[in-house]
Amino acid sequence: MIAFGCAVSESEAYFRYAGPGIRRAAEPDSVIFPYAAVGTIGRSYNLLLEAAAAHDGLEALVIVHPHTELADPELCTKVRAALADPDVAVLGCAGASGVHNIAWWDGEVSCGAVTHRYVEHGGGELPGFAWTTTHPAPAEVDIVDGFLMVLSPWAVRNVRFDEGLVLGHGFDLDYCLQVRAAGRKVATADLCVIQHRSLKVVSDLELWVEAHIAVARKWDGRMPDHPAGAVDWRRRARRAEAEREAARALAYAKRLAADARLEELERALTETTGTVSWRVTTPLRKLNKWRRSRLEAHAGAGP
Amino acid sequence: MIAFGSAITKPEVYRSCAEVGIRRAAEPDSVIFDLPSVGSIFQSYNALLDEAAKHENLEALVLVHQDAEIVDVDFCRTVRQALSDPDVGVVGCVGAIDVRTIAWWEGSVALASFLHRYDEHGGGDLTAFSWAWNEAPPYARTGEVDTLDGFLLVLSPWTVRNIRFDESLGLLHGYDFDFCLQVREAGRKVMTADFRAIHSHSLHPFTDPEHWIEAHIKVAEKWDGRMPGVGTAAGSWEERALRAEAERDAARVLSYSDALLLAARVAELEAVLAETTESISWRMTAPLRWLSRLRPAASDRKPRVRARALASAEPRAGR
Repeated sequence: MIAFGCAVSESEAYFRYAGPGIRRAAEPDSVIFPYAAVGTIGRSYNLLLEAAAAHDGLEALVIVHPHTELADPELCTKVRAALADPDVAVLGCAGASGVHNIAWWDGEVSCGAVTHRYVEHGGGELPGFAWTTTHPAPAEVDIVDGFLMVLSPWAVRNVRFDEGLVLGHGFDLDYCLQVRAAGRKVATADLCVIQHRSLKVVSDLELWVEAHIAVARKWDGRMPDHPAGAVDWRRRARRAEAEREAARALAYAKRLAADARLEELERALTETTGTVSWRVTTPLRKLNKWRRSRLEAHAGAGP
Repeated sequence: MIAFGSAITKPEVYRSCAEVGIRRAAEPDSVIFDLPSVGSIFQSYNALLDEAAKHENLEALVLVHQDAEIVDVDFCRTVRQALSDPDVGVVGCVGAIDVRTIAWWEGSVALASFLHRYDEHGGGDLTAFSWAWNEAPPYARTGEVDTLDGFLLVLSPWTVRNIRFDESLGLLHGYDFDFCLQVREAGRKVMTADFRAIHSHSLHPFTDPEHWIEAHIKVAEKWDGRMPGVGTAAGSWEERALRAEAERDAARVLSYSDALLLAARVAELEAVLAETTESISWRMTAPLRWLSRLRPAASDRKPRVRARALASAEPRAGR
């Protein structure tokens, strides 16, 4: 039996996204745990793990973020295929290898059919993780994105989310690192998923910075591909401080470039709509708009 | 005599920017050193200092980036006024206080009297905050600062003869901050004065951040313990490392969010533009626009950007 769980921190998001997606993907015998979020993400997710672990027939637990919509009717088949390898303990629709900290997307990203749907600027959609280069799933990775985590029965029964990570970021990296430290694999699968989220990658950067530090402290010297041993902290600090300011300068420059690009488009639009011919034909467009709305109203009226 | 110097790697850029400004600002007896670059900016500028130092009647040496254009006709008068205090070692039009690294813009910027001209996306101008006093924020002022932006530096004769750019620091980055630190360590003042320039360069600060990062580290190591605040920060080295790594990644996250916002906004504008140009009325009125294009183009009649910049290049009332 493949179970589905969601720590419902926002009911509206669950009703709109996670709930319909789970119903789309679930099988007749699937058990669904829509539990109210409690305390930290770690605590909420451990509650889901406890509930799922009680089922003897458990094949997998699919943990869905309230803003994640499963759009893959074949999800259960794909999950079974990926978990056929008994070493695989965690699956996701997106993840990365070469990860050094909670900014996992700075590693080599592997991604299934993920769509990022947003409401800003009239709404629209982008490919998932459009800000970076992605490689197709499946792949063995260091971490999967916490927006969707599929856990094997072994993971459900043997590994717990760290409830001491109280800041809401990095719980996914920490869990995956625990799984890998126990000798199991983390992998991406070609799952079709829609992420309903803001265009902001992180909503509260100050909190995220603190979480970054907390996870780095916990895993210092034990990160994958990071040789353990004495650290030259002075050298590392100097390097990081320089890289931080370079990153800030680049971010600022990119914002200027973005503004320039937008100004160019807005200029083109203003030039277009500022022409005499455009102004002369305004009544025509108004008439057309009115005609279209009338037609739509008739079509929507029903029999 | 006020001398002008520029280290030239791109003669066409020098001719269209620095040379225009120097001709506008220079006096009849001014000496102009328009020398080809001789390696790093540190080396090139030291070569200019050596040349200028030979002139006994030197009042100041103005070091101008080849892509910077001085816009003030009364520039020399302002320079003389700023250097009338013999303690002043170097003067500029962009400066900041509480500067701790070569990223001087992370300090408290006190004056930014320049205009950033770029070519990307059809070109444009970005006016820095004290380009026009009537639009300047309350913290905009001339006076003593920690460091200056090196695109336009005015050196006193004492500085020309006693301080040199540190050629061990690299090729380009951090030369201005290090130079100002040397001037201050020698007991002289670093000041901003009320003149302006147009700086024409890309919107990107560097193509490869690695050289900038190396310069950042070298300057921090050089001045740690020699100048208060420079190269130091709160916490142990371990705490500093972990925090800086987190803040570095946060800056990148911000950039990723911006990229997504841009993609969304561009998609929105392109959709509106496409809807406009594909409408029946737009297609119906194509002949009208064709006729309109037969008249001289607007861009032929008035060069938008430059006219605006130079119109405000007249002498201005200071604060």
